[in-house]
Amino acid sequence: MSDAAEVQASLEETLKTEILRMYQEVAETPDAEFHFYHGRSAAELFDYDPEELEAAPEAAVDSFAGVGNPHLRADIQVGDTVLDLGSGAGLDAIIAARKVGPTGKVIGVDLNPTMCEKARASVEASGARLECHAVRMEDLPLPPDSVDVVISNGVINLSFRKRRVIEEIFRVLKPGGRASITDIVSGKQLSQSIVNDPKLWAS
Amino acid sequence: MFRLFEESGFTEVKSAVVPGFRFRKAATQGMAEAYGVKAVMMTARKPG
Repeated sequence: MSDAAEVQASLEETLKTEILRMYQEVAETPDAEFHFYHGRSAAELFDYDPEELEAAPEAAVDSFAGVGNPHLRADIQVGDTVLDLGSGAGLDAIIAARKVGPTGKVIGVDLNPTMCEKARASVEASGARLECHAVRMEDLPLPPDSVDVVISNGVINLSFRKRRVIEEIFRVLKPGGRASITDIVSGKQLSQSIVNDPKLWAS
Repeated sequence: MFRLFEESGFTEVKSAVVPGFRFRKAATQGMAEAYGVKAVMMTARKPG
């Protein structure tokens, strides 16, 4: 491995650890202060349907850490297969599960196995089922052309390999399938000190 | 990210700024504004 590749691998591992730590903290202590707004107030700010929030388990709403509302433009239909990339505590998956109904399917992917368990429990508590994979989003364990809709909320920006993530979304979507993503973007090149700071990256 | 979607083969790529998004801590928000950091909604379709 070249020096540059070793540095990259080391940064990725450090970042993975920091992301796991931060989002574990959001799940376990949702009342703590973070860089970002989260929980019910954030979901309300992003125009989540109040009925959907009321129907969702409180734990999923309290640990919501999205940056927008991918459901506003996802156009999820009954019977669809939906992939929630970075499913976190499960709020977006729960809403998707209510939309696809019993003939559809919701698949979650999250780096954190604890979050996967939490999301699975929350979706089941809401009367639906979630298949959740605790894996990196750069290598999705799904066959090509198998998903109708991909949703994601504030997660792709956490990856060092964004092109790879988007290529994976393209691969798993059925022809004619759609992606509805909310995420953080930067209009300028970030300084190296910011890029190399896992705490800022994970926030 | 918009460009990455187009380069990956997606069509109908659209984006809009998420209204109301801001970081909780003033220092982080200040840095975000300095670097043009914002939340966006994006949609895209895989050609059928």
